[in-house]
Amino acid sequence: MSVSTLVSTARPARDRRTTTIGLIMVAIGLFITIAFGLMVPGWAHSQLTFDPINSAVHAPWHLGALTVVTRWSDVVLGLLAIALGVEVVLRHPRRALSRFGVTSVLFLLALLLWSSRTSGPASVNFVDLTAVLVGSSSLAMVLIYGSLSGVMCERAGVVNIAIEGQFIVGAFLGSMIESTTGNFWFATLAGALAGALLGWVLAFLALRYMSDQIIVGVVIVTLMSSLSSYLNLQVLTPYPQYNLGNLAPNVAIPLLYKIPVLGPVLFNQTGFFYLAVALIALVSFGLFRTRWGLRVRAVGEHPKAAESVGINVVATRYRNVVLGGAIAGIGGVAFMATQGQFQPGYTSGFGYIALAALIFGRWTPSGAVVASVLFGISSYLANNLQSYSIPVSTEVLNMFPYLITIAVVAGLIGRVRPPAADGIPYQRS
Amino acid sequence: MRVELRNITKRFGSFTANDSISLTVEPGQIHCLLGENGAGKSTLMNVLFGLLHPDDGEILLDGERVSFANSGEAVRHGIGMVHQHFMLVPVFSVAENVVLGFEPTKSLNRLDHETARREIRDLSAKYGLDVDPDAIVESLPVGVQQRVEILKALSHDARLLILDEPTAVLTPQEIEALIDIMRALAAAGTSILFITHKLKEVRAVADVITVIRQGRVIDSVSPETSESDLAALMVGRSVSLTVAKEPVELGEGSLELRDVVVRDDRGLVAVNGVSLTVRAGEIVALAGVQGNGQTELAEAIAGMRPVESGQILLGGRDITNNSPREILDAGLGHVPEDRHRDGLVLSMSVADNLVLNTPRRAPFARRGTRQLAAVNDNARDLVQRFDIRTTGIDATAGSLSGGNQQKVIVARELSRPLVAFMASQPTRGLDVGSIEYVHRQIVAERNAGRGVLIISSELDEVLALGDRIAVMYAGRITGLVDSSTSREEIGLLMAGGS
Repeated sequence: MSVSTLVSTARPARDRRTTTIGLIMVAIGLFITIAFGLMVPGWAHSQLTFDPINSAVHAPWHLGALTVVTRWSDVVLGLLAIALGVEVVLRHPRRALSRFGVTSVLFLLALLLWSSRTSGPASVNFVDLTAVLVGSSSLAMVLIYGSLSGVMCERAGVVNIAIEGQFIVGAFLGSMIESTTGNFWFATLAGALAGALLGWVLAFLALRYMSDQIIVGVVIVTLMSSLSSYLNLQVLTPYPQYNLGNLAPNVAIPLLYKIPVLGPVLFNQTGFFYLAVALIALVSFGLFRTRWGLRVRAVGEHPKAAESVGINVVATRYRNVVLGGAIAGIGGVAFMATQGQFQPGYTSGFGYIALAALIFGRWTPSGAVVASVLFGISSYLANNLQSYSIPVSTEVLNMFPYLITIAVVAGLIGRVRPPAADGIPYQRS
Repeated sequence: MRVELRNITKRFGSFTANDSISLTVEPGQIHCLLGENGAGKSTLMNVLFGLLHPDDGEILLDGERVSFANSGEAVRHGIGMVHQHFMLVPVFSVAENVVLGFEPTKSLNRLDHETARREIRDLSAKYGLDVDPDAIVESLPVGVQQRVEILKALSHDARLLILDEPTAVLTPQEIEALIDIMRALAAAGTSILFITHKLKEVRAVADVITVIRQGRVIDSVSPETSESDLAALMVGRSVSLTVAKEPVELGEGSLELRDVVVRDDRGLVAVNGVSLTVRAGEIVALAGVQGNGQTELAEAIAGMRPVESGQILLGGRDITNNSPREILDAGLGHVPEDRHRDGLVLSMSVADNLVLNTPRRAPFARRGTRQLAAVNDNARDLVQRFDIRTTGIDATAGSLSGGNQQKVIVARELSRPLVAFMASQPTRGLDVGSIEYVHRQIVAERNAGRGVLIISSELDEVLALGDRIAVMYAGRITGLVDSSTSREEIGLLMAGGS
């Protein structure tokens, strides 16, 4: 008898993991409520402004500032997080991981409010929320390029660790070509071609010689980062006219850009941003709605089965890795076009954060986008700590994407399943 | 369709897998290809299906010469294949799997799911193979997955159906059902090439039997040929298919399981309260279709998987959740199911593999230093006693044939004092000759008064060896019967009946 009762009450592992996610969310909520909320003196205020200051964009609206009592607004955010966590624990929704993403955003928002609180009853301090979102969005955009590149490669069964290297080469060439031609189209084309070439190198070594894909990827990154440092020293430093670092112009979408807050974030962006949005839709549609996507996914899941119905596994993988490389190469140009002048090491591991976003997003384009937005915000805050007087060190905030990814990969929160043949060399029987 | 293979030769390096093989399948004929593992059956079928290119020879379909660049072309020529390891994408739906490679599309290359579903339903109705087009393949039982595989093979108007070892994963009832399907298809004019090494099935279903040995056609015979004659043709010498067992006086329980509960890798309960006593001097054969918890149970007994609750006793001593080494030292001999993963270090020498579980014990090591002379003496002795065919004791285990690899494991486990002996799938992938040898060793161990637990999904093996037969289904022991029980009855128990 004991056995049957034991079995009927025992939950499968997925449920246990979902419960863990929920409990972590509740813990985050409690932390927000207490540390950012109740421990703050009642007179402390946080002020949010929505009108872009110092922005090239003309703001056609004036919303003024929103002043909130730090304690109670963070308590509200904390309680929201707790409520989400309790829902996950009790109801085990299928999309527990995306709710966890929402909780992470709540945490970052609470942190922002808390760190911008007034230090005395009479002092003044404010956070430009629109600027935060605009700044985060351009970083998120770069991560989206990177993680879409990862989706393209890994869905076909090739691990692309080289995204960082493709970013570097894209940024380097992007800056050079734009500086010499004054044309971002040429820069984009050059970045795409260079990224595709690196993708081809990865594919060639991985598919022709069955080399370990992780090692080849790391080698490509190391090579690109050293090569770009060298060329920077030899070419860009003595000839600064090749590294002007012009930013891509914003293209405002008529009418829509006038929407408060959302307008500058979504509808007054560079062409690279709109291209990223188009790519999200395109990759998503392609992978899950078309014949091409079905075949790509079959190749990534069970290459022998694909081969047995006449699908060319090796050609499919080549194609996807080269396309993925091109996407990451454009991502590098986009990085340069929003962050300015090329410097060695300034992509600072964004390629790896993009990989983290890919995993957190469960190898789906939409999931990768959500994760990219989350990691974009955390990276932006990490880069701009002083302006928001966040009393956390840059390094700690920079750990955030990796910590989440480790937790996800280790199965602590939720379980992700990569394509079954991801990273495994394919040998025809 | 009339299929003719003429002098097909396929070489891999210096190894000739198919040596000028010729055979003809007539329309509506069930043609069995019988041969041991490694005889070249699968290679020949992969050539016919366009997965491999022959070095020589030609293929004629209805008298017309063809050659396939890939298997898609073979499919377009009316050849369908059911692979031994299913060619199904586990995370795809039934419909997606069946149409893969031949997808109906709408504009923009979009998949036409509606048409795909309708095609599956039509096929299901036409062949009486019932499946839900929207089911995700990995959620289906193995028998149903095979049905999907057959539907997929038939979906492009296949006039020749190749079935590669299709019965390995099926229950006896599912095998019956499969044979019915094959007969119906043949009656409707489909030619069938059926590959197997199981003698009973061949005789039950074949119109013609072609025996292949070492890449050559040995003979074509009628299904009236006796099992022992077929076995002799396969192996090249006469083999005994039964093992003589003398009565032995039973002793105390040597291996006892009490209400053992074990979880699988996904955390689901795989062994659901199993109690079983193996007494000294008997062989208990644990029968069951793969995936009913036997693997997890064996791993738990060997200490390779945690026991959630319950007790395991070896010679009266509690070994529950002890480490594998403690359990081996306590006197359990263990032949693991996956010999490449758990039984041998393929890149190490035969001599080292023969002391793999006692490397730090005298005489093989003293004061923390290996005694290579003792290791080599031991190896020479065992190689001779267990008839391990190797180029030398320094040859890597990976260079041996499957049968000789298994002999290395059996020799290692049986060459030390044991309380009980457990072997999982002891003859999987072995040829008839090696099977005979391993079986005799197992029976000898029983006769010497050890308790023996055999875990096998081969019903023939279970019946040949077991003094008692326990049947496992869905994590429980559903029946404990003696060895005179009929195949049908055990088959029913394996399928969950009672």
